Amino acid sequence: MRKRDRREKKHRSGEIPTGSFSDIAFLLIIYFLVATTLVKVKSITADLPSGEKSSQTQSDKTPTINLKNDLIMFNDKRVDLAGLNERLSALDLPEQEADKRIILLESAKGTPYEVYFQALAAISANGGVVALVEDDK
Amino acid sequence: MVPVPIASMGDIAFLLIIFFLVCSEVAKDKTNLQVTLPNSEFVKKTKTAVAARVAIDADGVIYFDGARVENSKDVEWGVRAVLASTSTDDQRHVQFKCDAALPKETFEPVMKAIAEAGGIIEAVGEKNQ
Repeated sequence: MRKRDRREKKHRSGEIPTGSFSDIAFLLIIYFLVATTLVKVKSITADLPSGEKSSQTQSDKTPTINLKNDLIMFNDKRVDLAGLNERLSALDLPEQEADKRIILLESAKGTPYEVYFQALAAISANGGVVALVEDDK
Repeated sequence: MVPVPIASMGDIAFLLIIFFLVCSEVAKDKTNLQVTLPNSEFVKKTKTAVAARVAIDADGVIYFDGARVENSKDVEWGVRAVLASTSTDDQRHVQFKCDAALPKETFEPVMKAIAEAGGIIEAVGEKNQ
C-alpha cells in the first residue's frame, strides 16, 4: 500500500492542466462562426406626419403623386420611376421650408406595396415629407 | 528543434470569443416570415436601433414584435406602449416589413397606425441589383 502511495505522489503536480484550453476555445470560436447568421437589414426612413389634414398643407401647388396599380403619376402626368426621381430632385426639397417639403401620396385601391415602397423611397431620398391622402368615405 | 510557444494561444482564443460575444447582437426578429421584399435603389443599411418590429406576411397576417395581432389598431396600441418610455426621435424608429405583392388596403392602415402612434417607419426593402 505504502509503495503505491509513493508512486502516485510522484506523478501528482500542483498545476492545472491547461494544454487543451486553446483547443476548446478555438472549437468554440469555430462553432460561433459557423452558427452565426449575419443579418443585413436595408430600409428607407419615412416619417409620416400624423393628425388631421389641413387646407394649408394641401393647397393646389402641393406636388402630388398618384399611384394606380403599376402606374405612377406626378402632378397628373404619367412618369416612370426615373422620371419621378428627376422631378422630385428638381424641386430641391432639402433647401425648402418644412411646409414646402410635403409631397402628397395618393394611391388607388389594389396598388401593390412594391410600387408604393418605390414612391416612398424616392420621396424620402429627395428630402420630401410624405403626406398620405385619405380615401373619401 | 525549437518548440513553438503555444502558452498564450488559449488566452488569445478566449479573448476572441469574448470579443465576438460582446460585439454580436442577437436577432430579435423571432418571426421567420416568408415575405418578398420590395426593391428600390434608395434603400440603405439601417443604422438606428428599432423600438419595435411590425411585419405583414404574404397572407396579410400582421405581426407585432413577433406576435400575431388582429388588426392595425393593435399595432397602434403596441407602438404607443413601446414609445411611451422613449424621449428622443432616434428611439421612435419602427421596422416595417411587408410583402411586395400586398395591396394598399392591407398595408396602408398599418403604416398609418405606426405614424399615428408616433413611430418613424423604417420600411425594409432590398437594393436593386
